[in-house]
Amino acid sequence: MRAHGLVRAAAYAGGLALIGYGLSGIVADVPVGRWAAWFAGAAVLHDGVLVPAVLVAGAVTGWVPVAYRRVLRGALLVAACVSAVAIPLVLGYGRRPDVPSQLPLPYGRNLAIVLGAIGAVAVAVPAAQMLARRRRPRAAGGGAHRAAPPPDKGRGR
Amino acid sequence: MVRRPAPLTASLRARLPRPPRLPRLPRLPAALTTLPERFTSRLHDERVAAWLGIALGVCFLTAFCTGLVSHLMQNPPNWMTWPSRPVNLYRVTQGLHVMTGLAAVPLLLAKLWTVYPRLLQWPPARSAGHAIERALVFVLVGGSLFQLVTGVMNIDYWYAFRFFFTTAHYWTAYIIIGALLIHIANQWAKARRTVMTRPSDGLRRRTFLLTVFGASGVVVATTVGETVSPLARLAVLAPRRPGIGSQDLPVNKSAAASGVTALARDPRWRLTVTGRVRRELSLSLEQLQAMPMRTARLPIACVEGWSAEATWEGVRLRDLLAMAGADDDAGVRVESLERYGLYRTSQVRPPHWHDPLTLLALRVNGEPLDLDHGYPCRLIAPNRPGVMQTKWVGRLVVT
Repeated sequence: MRAHGLVRAAAYAGGLALIGYGLSGIVADVPVGRWAAWFAGAAVLHDGVLVPAVLVAGAVTGWVPVAYRRVLRGALLVAACVSAVAIPLVLGYGRRPDVPSQLPLPYGRNLAIVLGAIGAVAVAVPAAQMLARRRRPRAAGGGAHRAAPPPDKGRGR
Repeated sequence: MVRRPAPLTASLRARLPRPPRLPRLPRLPAALTTLPERFTSRLHDERVAAWLGIALGVCFLTAFCTGLVSHLMQNPPNWMTWPSRPVNLYRVTQGLHVMTGLAAVPLLLAKLWTVYPRLLQWPPARSAGHAIERALVFVLVGGSLFQLVTGVMNIDYWYAFRFFFTTAHYWTAYIIIGALLIHIANQWAKARRTVMTRPSDGLRRRTFLLTVFGASGVVVATTVGETVSPLARLAVLAPRRPGIGSQDLPVNKSAAASGVTALARDPRWRLTVTGRVRRELSLSLEQLQAMPMRTARLPIACVEGWSAEATWEGVRLRDLLAMAGADDDAGVRVESLERYGLYRTSQVRPPHWHDPLTLLALRVNGEPLDLDHGYPCRLIAPNRPGVMQTKWVGRLVVT
């Protein structure tokens, strides 16, 4: 227990020293106000806008039949992540007329192709599962992997 | 009893050790104070958070170390000298830096979704220590989002933030690594316990985790071809593609943007070698072309993660410096024709200028250098950041 406490104290000391070092560099080399706006702004927008949007998407897809829900949510998750990373490319603010090799591709079209491929996989997976089930009508599987019902919420704890 | 990791949606109030000294919180409706319990997905649990945290930790530590490599190569302290080999060291580390950063985007979003109920816990802090812990988690979360958001924007040349990216990215890295160290110390025991215990509750965590890793995989697969050229055709969402650019090579800064077009085309252009030399040299392009030509296959490797190989022909830097009579342990400052700019000059230390692959290149891929690639003459060396492969060279100063 004491060794554990010592390790934790050392981690706090080292971590706070690193944070202090980084902050001192920010104060010296970077316009602090603008930096802080992006630092806190990213967290606020994430927690206040992005996650609530994801929660809404989760609630909406909750109405989809269980058989398709999981694969639909998986496809949405992958598609949303790829889109998030590709947005600056699609917007293309980084294009420069004098450097055509910078952002040289048609990113809107490419993103559509990637999203289409994700969608195709999302359609193919349940279709293949359904075919397999039809071929082996009473094989093991089906609902066997369904999660057990959640335990009592544990309000008593 | 079903063994299962702790959900992150359970109320914390039961665990309160009765905090008498904390300021009295206003009475809020139960709808607000029990928000975490309203999350229905059971994937908000410790085991999911722990696995995502481990994957994120690996990405962040890799990005931190490879970022330090780039920083130290560009700003080496006096006691530190980088070797010129392996040729692709810089290229591989920076490709890794950007790819781990991109892979971290889905991981971070999934991790934050998993622990989101904890954000809404009531009361916000159980004790002063807990308040400090949460403040440090905010530093970790804000810093992580900051690094990934501005990092992705930077590799796509979208400078919507009004600060210099490089310094902000560099200093913020220390902040999040410090906060990460503290976070690991706080979570180690819990994460170890939950990862080491196989749950028997039938919850499909693995499907969720594999989907998130799959998202990282798709992001990397559609980008990594910007540095791994056999996969170039797959890089449909990469800001660069090897093979696209003048003379089949991407360009970072054009001659027009650098304001050197007239100077570089001037027939009176001379390469001068000066400083601590026994004979100063002033060579015309014809005189340089008459020197022994060497060929080297070397990459331009950018800190932004892309790289592209080319066949360069030119004069060995060490031949030129031997002609001028420079000392073996001398350093060289390579100066561009550019009048201003952060990367107008670069330092070449002895291991690099002694390397037979280090050239002042006059030709690339079988043609005279394009103006945008540094005509009339540019530096190209192994294991070196792209911004230090100085273009439009006018002067070598031996120091």
